[in-house]
Amino acid sequence: MDSKRLDELLAKYWNCQTTLEEEQELRRYLTENDVPDDVMPVASLFRYFEQQGKMAVQNDFDRTVMQKVVQANRARSGKLKALVSYSLRIAAGVAVLVAAIVLVRQELRKSDSVAVNGELVDTFDDPKEAFKETKRALEMISKGFGRAEQQAKKINTFNEAQEKIQRQLNKNKEL
Amino acid sequence: MDAEVFQNRVLPVKNKLFRFALRMLGNEDEAKDVVQDVFIRLWNGREQLADIQNMEAWCMRITKNLSLDMLRVQKRRGTHTMNGGFDIQHTDATPDVKTELGESMQNVSELIAALPEKQRQIIHLRDVEGYSYNEICDILELDMNQVKVNLFRARNAVREKLMKINAYGL
Repeated sequence: MDSKRLDELLAKYWNCQTTLEEEQELRRYLTENDVPDDVMPVASLFRYFEQQGKMAVQNDFDRTVMQKVVQANRARSGKLKALVSYSLRIAAGVAVLVAAIVLVRQELRKSDSVAVNGELVDTFDDPKEAFKETKRALEMISKGFGRAEQQAKKINTFNEAQEKIQRQLNKNKEL
Repeated sequence: MDAEVFQNRVLPVKNKLFRFALRMLGNEDEAKDVVQDVFIRLWNGREQLADIQNMEAWCMRITKNLSLDMLRVQKRRGTHTMNGGFDIQHTDATPDVKTELGESMQNVSELIAALPEKQRQIIHLRDVEGYSYNEICDILELDMNQVKVNLFRARNAVREKLMKINAYGL
């Protein structure tokens, strides 16, 4: 590169009018050739750019990044599994709740003849008939009690007989 | 996108992302953390990647945003170095690199590190990475005028200081 071309390119460079190709041309010339002393400061600038452009991360960087990517993947899939698990639990809870509501509603419908709007209603319209039914129910209970009393008396007779035998045995022993 | 495609087509952009994050943060470990974060986000959102026209520019934009977030956190904690309104960051301050750089290159490094953040980003994207103006607009979410004005100011600030150093050894 002759000095005229160099001056022309440098003037354009300082005014930010150079293309990338022209900047490459300048860089090649100033980094690969011995340059006049007056251009040395500019050459040092381009050599600095050249040296900076060669800086690189360490060789194990790719491995480190891939390891982190795999770890991030695992953490992500773990989170996904946890999310699915929680969702299933919530769905199961909702299903149980819905089933419970359906069953309760069915039971309420069955007992509609007994309860309307949650209040108990009479089973008989006629008070006499109700009295007759109540009397019949009480008699049935009374009959039950009477039968139980008779059975209790039998047990009592058995107990008395047992006591007599015991007493007799004691007397025999004394003799 | 499967892991193989990710490894072969996406990961190779790592060095550009790393250099950009390093330019902004000035710390290699933090820059690496940011780039890793970019790739993990990219992998997690891989189903939506078909909508992205320029994957590299998109990655660079995410790198810029995450780096800025990190800088904000550092500033809030008071762990970020500030000097006269400029972020003085020695991006290539490791001993190995220092020995490789000549004195003049070290001067350039310091001059660029002393530029305002936006100018530093733009001069890096154009002169180190060779992005077009349109790509820089896309990455930095700026309009063309802002990009050109900031690049002009950055280049001329560096030029002026380089000439002073050369003329007076300042």
